[in-house]
Amino acid sequence: MLTFQQYQAQFTAHIRNPQANKKPARVVDSRMAVYREIVFNNIFASVSACFPVCRQILGARAWRQLVRGFFAEHGSETPFFREIPAQFLKYLDTQPIAEHLKQLAHYEWAELHVSTIHAETPPLSVQTNLLNERPILNPAHLLLEYDYPVHMLSKRHKTVEPESTHILMYRNDAFEIKFIVLNAITYQLLNQIQQHAISGKQALLQIAQTINHLQLETIVEFGQQILQDLLQQDAIVGSQALKI
Amino acid sequence: MASLADIKGAGLGLKRELIPQIQSRYQSPEISNIHFLEIAPENWIGAGGKSAHDLAWFVERYPIVCHGLCLSLGGIKPLNTDFLKQVKTFMAEHQIPLYTEHLSYCGDTQGLLYDLLPIPFTEEAVKYVAARVRQAQDVLGQRIGIENASFYAAAPISEMDEITFLKAVLNEADCLLHLDINNIYVNSVNFNFDAHAFLRQIPKEKIVYAHIAGHLQVKPDLLVDTHGEDIIDPVWALLDEAYSLFGTFPTLLERDTNIPALVELLSEVNKITEFQARYSATQKAA
Repeated sequence: MLTFQQYQAQFTAHIRNPQANKKPARVVDSRMAVYREIVFNNIFASVSACFPVCRQILGARAWRQLVRGFFAEHGSETPFFREIPAQFLKYLDTQPIAEHLKQLAHYEWAELHVSTIHAETPPLSVQTNLLNERPILNPAHLLLEYDYPVHMLSKRHKTVEPESTHILMYRNDAFEIKFIVLNAITYQLLNQIQQHAISGKQALLQIAQTINHLQLETIVEFGQQILQDLLQQDAIVGSQALKI
Repeated sequence: MASLADIKGAGLGLKRELIPQIQSRYQSPEISNIHFLEIAPENWIGAGGKSAHDLAWFVERYPIVCHGLCLSLGGIKPLNTDFLKQVKTFMAEHQIPLYTEHLSYCGDTQGLLYDLLPIPFTEEAVKYVAARVRQAQDVLGQRIGIENASFYAAAPISEMDEITFLKAVLNEADCLLHLDINNIYVNSVNFNFDAHAFLRQIPKEKIVYAHIAGHLQVKPDLLVDTHGEDIIDPVWALLDEAYSLFGTFPTLLERDTNIPALVELLSEVNKITEFQARYSATQKAA
C-alpha cells in the first residue's frame, strides 16, 4: 500500500467506526468531525428513506444503531445509490432482528425496487383472452411471499402473528405502486402463468388437480373472474397467444 | 445529437424536485437561460419507471452532461471499469457528450462510502490518480473532466498545496478541468488561502465548464459544501474574475439540498447569463 493509501485507509476506518479506529495522526479533530458526521448522515438518510415503517417500529435509537452497524461493518460495491437499501437488507440478514421485521424490511425495499425496475411489455394479442391465451403480468411487478402479514405492520401494530402472506406489487402506467393481497391459490396461479408458457385455463386446471378440486368448471369460472379483476387493475396487461 | 459545443451558456443540475417545474415551463422565456443540464449517472443508469420516462423527455430537449459521484478516482480498489462501460453505453444511448468526476475518493478496501473524501496532495497520489484518469479515458474513449473538490480536513502528509496538485494531475492525465468556483472559495476559507491567487493559477485551456453553488457556514473558518444555500457575493466575485481572466465558459448552478422553487433558482441562473453577456460583449469589443 502506498503511503497516501495508508493514510486514506486510516481516514475511512476512523469514519466508519471512530470508537474502534483512531484518526490519522495530526489531523485536526474538529475537521475530522465533519467527515464523521456527513458521511454517516448521508448513508443514514439513504437507508432511512426506504424503511419508514421498520424505523418507526424499532424506534429512533435502535434504528440509528442498526444503520451505524451497517455503515461500520458492511461493504457495498454498487455505485448506484438506489441499490444501497438492498445492501442494507443483506446486512439485516446477519443481524439478530425479529423475523417479522426482516420480512417487513424486504417488503419496504420491494416498493422502491418496483418503482425503478426496468420493464418492457412483451407483444400482446389485440384481443385479450385470459383463458385460452397466456395472461401477461404487468412487467414491473414482484410476486412476494412472506411468513407474516407484513402489510399490517405499522407504528401502532408492531407485532403480528405468523400467517402465510402473498402480495402482488406492481407499477401502473401513472408510475404509482399498487399492492394486491392474494390468497394462496391466486398466488400459485400467477406464479404458474409467469413462469410457464401456459394458458390461463391450463394453469387453472393444474391448480384444480393439486388441490384435488373435483368441480373443474367452478375453478375455471372462479379463476377467470380473478384474472379479469387483475386485468382491470392493470396488474395483468393482456394476453399472448401460445406458440404451438 | 448533442456535442460538446452544445454545452454552453448557463446550466442547471437536474434534481427530481425540479423536473415538473421545468417541464411545465418548457420553451417559456422564463427559463430560456437554462441551456444545459447535468445529471449524476449513478442516479439514472439502469433506472426504469418514472426516471427513464423523465430522462427521455429531457434528452430530447436539452444537452446533458454526466457528472459522476462514485468513481473514486483516488480510491484503493481497482477502477470500476464495468461501471465505466455502463457509463459509456449510457452516454452513447442518450447522446451525452461529456463525463466529469471529482478529484477525490469515495471508498476503501471494504467498499464505497458514497461521499467525497480528500486525497492527500503527494507525488505518489498525483501519479496514481493521473493513471486512473487515463484508464477511465481509455475505457470511455474520450477525455473526462476532473473537478477540484471541496474538503474539510488537511492531510498532514501532503507535500504540496491544492493548486499544485490539481495542475499536476491535469498535466499527467491529459484530461479536462471541471472548475468548481464555489469549491475554491470553500477551501480558501477552510484552509486560509487566497482564492483569487488560486484562481489565477488555473490553466485556462483545460477548463471544460464550471460549477457555482452555495455553501453552509458552520463556523467563521469552516464552510461545508452543501449546495443548499444561495450563492454568496464573494463566490460571484470569483466567477466574475474567472471570466475576466479566462473569458467565459459554460457555468452550471448546483443546488442539491434545501431546494427552493425553480423561480428562485432562475435568478441565479440568470445572473450567470448576465455575467457571461458582459464578458462576451467586452471580448467582442476588444
